[in-house]
Amino acid sequence: MNVNTREPVYLQVVRHFKEQIAIGNFVAGQEIPSRRELAASLNINPNTAQKAYKEMEEQGLIHTERNFPSQITTNETILQVVRQELILAAVDTFVDAIRPINVPVDELLRVVKEKYSEEIREEEEK
Amino acid sequence: MIEVKKISKNYGRKKILDDVSFTANKGEVTCLIGINGVGKTTTLKAIMGLTPYKGEILIDDQKMTKDSYEKITFIPDAPTMLPQMTIKQAMVFMSDFYTSWNPERANQLMGFFKLKEENRISELSKGNTAKLNLMLGLSLDVDYVLMDEPFSGIDMFSREQIADVFASHLIEDRGVIITTHEIGDIEHLIDKVILLDNGSVLKEFNTEEMREEEGKSVVDVMREVYQS
Amino acid sequence: MMRYIKLVNFEINRFSKIYLSLLLITLVSQFAGVIIVTKSLLNDARDIMKEERLSEAAYITNYGGIDFNHIANSLLFVGPIALSAVALIFYIFLIWYRDWFGKNTFIYRLLILPTSRLSIYLSKATSIFLMVLGLIAFQIIILPMENALFNSNVPEALLSEMSISTITIANPILSLIIPSTFTQFLISYGIGLMIMSILFTAIMFERSFRIKGIIMGLLYCGIAAVLFLAPVLMEIGNFYFYPNELFGMMLAIGIILTGLSVWLGAWLLKNRVTV
Repeated sequence: MNVNTREPVYLQVVRHFKEQIAIGNFVAGQEIPSRRELAASLNINPNTAQKAYKEMEEQGLIHTERNFPSQITTNETILQVVRQELILAAVDTFVDAIRPINVPVDELLRVVKEKYSEEIREEEEK
Repeated sequence: MIEVKKISKNYGRKKILDDVSFTANKGEVTCLIGINGVGKTTTLKAIMGLTPYKGEILIDDQKMTKDSYEKITFIPDAPTMLPQMTIKQAMVFMSDFYTSWNPERANQLMGFFKLKEENRISELSKGNTAKLNLMLGLSLDVDYVLMDEPFSGIDMFSREQIADVFASHLIEDRGVIITTHEIGDIEHLIDKVILLDNGSVLKEFNTEEMREEEGKSVVDVMREVYQS
Repeated sequence: MMRYIKLVNFEINRFSKIYLSLLLITLVSQFAGVIIVTKSLLNDARDIMKEERLSEAAYITNYGGIDFNHIANSLLFVGPIALSAVALIFYIFLIWYRDWFGKNTFIYRLLILPTSRLSIYLSKATSIFLMVLGLIAFQIIILPMENALFNSNVPEALLSEMSISTITIANPILSLIIPSTFTQFLISYGIGLMIMSILFTAIMFERSFRIKGIIMGLLYCGIAAVLFLAPVLMEIGNFYFYPNELFGMMLAIGIILTGLSVWLGAWLLKNRVTV
């Protein structure tokens, strides 16, 4: 995880988790590392890890039962929302970048489709 | 909690510390930053009882006694063991004098830093000396760790390793006070910043709050404070 | 207490190489002295006997027998004692300053050990005192061997044999370091301890207040010297004491000065010293 020093680190950790969930590296019901393990693996302060976990609990992304390790939620709706959120955030960035060039939507979609399929093909070939 | 209450210190007519107050909590990393060399190291020395001062310093509501040295340790940026000692002998020395010495953690850190027991202290590079200091200090089961400029004059890879140890071994439930003028390596690891200049506290803030409320990094705040 | 003993052990180990060298130099130099000086004494005696055509008995009546005093006054014998004394006096300073100077500032470690500053102070004082006693003990052990070697090297007819106690009493330096009475012991080692504690305190002044501290340290030494010698100085002012009165007073002043110096030195180390 690359840390941006102008944004609260705990929110960056939350986003990191959401990405992992969207990619499928974390699946519903999976146990997640302890705050100390997380701090060590991401090279962050354990307090920050703690705060990130608290935030994720509040958002319903993870839940903890007494004396058990925390788990990714099994609530499919929340998991879907996470995915949607990420897609929307990425598209937002993309739109912000492409808007000044003033491309017609049809042309843009065609280029996106070509590029996207090409990327996937290349990845499969590797 | 370490409470520094209105401490002042002069060297001759020169003011080194002028009414400095701050607190450092257990389980948090407090960073003393100053671009001019004055005052940071002296503050740590004052806390450790290595230099006289006016004012009061309390550790968990008590004044420093000899037993406090089992609870609080200081990692200066110079070697603190005799040059003719081997690392092994330095470790034996520590376990001889401190009941809080934790040999398992020492071995862990020796492995992590790739230090060799048979190496002589006088033969260590600057980076390895810093690692040795860190290993010796962090292998004590203490509540508070004071570090003076752990990154100064050290190569990039050693700095990365030291920053890694911060997250994995240093913080845990301890209180950490660190002085530095190069914030880069650890900016994201700090909980609290005390900006010092000419021996006074210019600004004190919590890093995550600063990011959340004002969207500023520590370096941004430093730029504002020191360049105005 | 355990930490104090460990500190003493640690301090002695740090000086052990130089210390063992001192012992070795003493051993070699004094035995060499016995052999070389004996030889030259015998040569001299034979030359005189030859020139003046004296028999051994006549030589003894005219010039006296050859005794160990000649050896004990030679440079090879006294030199290493003086060298050791100078080295240890020098070490009174070095035992502190070596912790501050150089690339490795061991004083950081020393002063953050979970032990009282008084223990640190006393451990250094104890180490020096033990090393002094060690050197003396070594001298006491090798002296009879040297004497025996001397006795066996000198022909019986020319030999004027001396007992160890006569040797130590006859030689001013040996009588100083190997006291023959308890009073003598108190005087030699009591004064030694007192001077060491005063010097330690002066060093603590310097370490606490730097340049101002040097002046304070010198003043402290001066005042201590005047106080200790006060009874003697009063005698110069025609105020006389009986010898045992004088001894009693100096003993009392000495004890007070030593106690005060230790207390003040340890206090400075605890509250005023800057690393």
